[in-house]
Amino acid sequence: MKVLAFSHSMDLALELVSAGRELGDVSLLVTSDQEGWINEVKGAKEILLCKEMDSGDQEGLVELISGLAGDYEVVLLASDRRGRELVGQVAHRLGASSAVDVSSLSVEKGKLVVERMTFGGKAIAVEEMGLPAVISVQKGKFRPPEEGKPSVREVGAPSVERRIEVIGGKEKPKVGVPLDKAEIVVAVGRGFRKKEDLKLAYELADVLGGVVGATRPLAADLKWMEEEVWIGISGVRIAPKLLIVVGASGQQQFAAGIMDSKVVVAVNTDSKAPIFEQADYGVVMDLYEFLPVLTKKLKEIKGG
Amino acid sequence: MDIAVLVKQSLDVQELRVDQDTGKIYIEDAPTKAGDIELNATEEAVRLKEKFGGKAIALMLSTWGASGKRQKEAREALTRVLAMGLDGAMLITGEGAERGDTYMIAKALAQEIRDKFGLVLAAEGSEDNFSGLLPARLAAELGWPYVAYATAIEVEGDYVKVTRSLEDFEEVVKVKLPAVISVTQEINKPRVPKLVEIVKAKKKPMDQKDFSPPVEPKLTIRELKVPKVERKRIVIEGDVEEAAEKLIQALKEEGVL
Repeated sequence: MKVLAFSHSMDLALELVSAGRELGDVSLLVTSDQEGWINEVKGAKEILLCKEMDSGDQEGLVELISGLAGDYEVVLLASDRRGRELVGQVAHRLGASSAVDVSSLSVEKGKLVVERMTFGGKAIAVEEMGLPAVISVQKGKFRPPEEGKPSVREVGAPSVERRIEVIGGKEKPKVGVPLDKAEIVVAVGRGFRKKEDLKLAYELADVLGGVVGATRPLAADLKWMEEEVWIGISGVRIAPKLLIVVGASGQQQFAAGIMDSKVVVAVNTDSKAPIFEQADYGVVMDLYEFLPVLTKKLKEIKGG
Repeated sequence: MDIAVLVKQSLDVQELRVDQDTGKIYIEDAPTKAGDIELNATEEAVRLKEKFGGKAIALMLSTWGASGKRQKEAREALTRVLAMGLDGAMLITGEGAERGDTYMIAKALAQEIRDKFGLVLAAEGSEDNFSGLLPARLAAELGWPYVAYATAIEVEGDYVKVTRSLEDFEEVVKVKLPAVISVTQEINKPRVPKLVEIVKAKKKPMDQKDFSPPVEPKLTIRELKVPKVERKRIVIEGDVEEAAEKLIQALKEEGVL
């Protein structure tokens, strides 16, 4: 099976190459702004270099990928927002099947079989896809390949009627260690009565060397925190070795975002909160009493 | 310019019961509703209509079969968005829709949108499946531009100016109409309809249309499984001091401190 892969991010592109190798030979498309990746990409059979296309050109990419895809059975894209935006458009151009955020993929009797989370994390759908197929792969599920130097072939860019013009933009403020890469996360919810009180969570995260994330209401409705730290199915999905959830009830959208965490601790005054079903260790207490004591004791151990 | 809002009849995942031991998923018992982010799309459509004129209509293609319960829920979901200020709604139902994948549904919806609307608003993802594939496919089917993850939309003549939120970047684009745009929850705060608006919404036009599959689906769901999430669910007892000490001890034994 022949696989075409593309991502805006090199880390994700390498994960796609690994995912694609489970199906066959992988050609990785690289745009002009990504030319520097050529010497770093391993594991792909070949690199298709398009020097006349920038990865910021969404309409151009849809056209370019759809045009190249005729030679491939499977197109793999990343599950970041720019990647997901392409999946449906490319699939429909090709009359292909599509799936996003797949965690596994295999071939059975000429059909592609993928697994992905659905129903807000309450179920895993096993889907049979006709070929050709366009798929985005869940972040962090495949390790980058370690060897194999690809050949490089240049491809031309199609001419595109452009209806989308980028007229501005700015980098979002950096939040330090990205949540999805953090080893220790303290997640805060509506149990905090005001924004200033979040310092209790930051102090706990500091002593643990972790980062602070938030539930949807804190990030989106109250705007106490940046959107980038919003944990959940429409926010960031995290997989730390230790997650301490403080003052969050455990709504399904949030629960789906923390499923891959190794050890989960929940602190909540309401013993019936669903979060305790999703936790390894539950502390039924007022966070305003418990957090300062926990932080102080941890400081003593860590010698701080 | 008239606006179409895509409203999916989604399973209410909060209410969905699954049995970890038997692996059974009680889909039939769970209610359906309009997704939360579709309320944001509705709110945005109403705001744009109030500011720039035109009509805003909800489109729903029910994929839950012809049972009375699901049909009633579909109409309730549409009444919910009508009460927020939309002018009308169209409900498409019929045999074969339950096998529909995004390929089939995009083809069916495009027939109701082409030449009738200048802007389609959708949620970045549906409440129950959250793939975000449908608006992208619909745009491709219509041959219209597609911009996802909008956090602000302004109409400027034949264009819309869209601010959109990417992971590390906020981008502003100018898009030629007609277009398909998906929104995130940050775009606005959906109004909560008053009782009188809900009563009035029941009198607004709701067209029913029979569905006939325009194409065969490209994807089938073979199986739905319950994910195995094994949690210890140990409750730490004692006063504040004891609980903190016990928790630290437990985390040390887990090897995560």
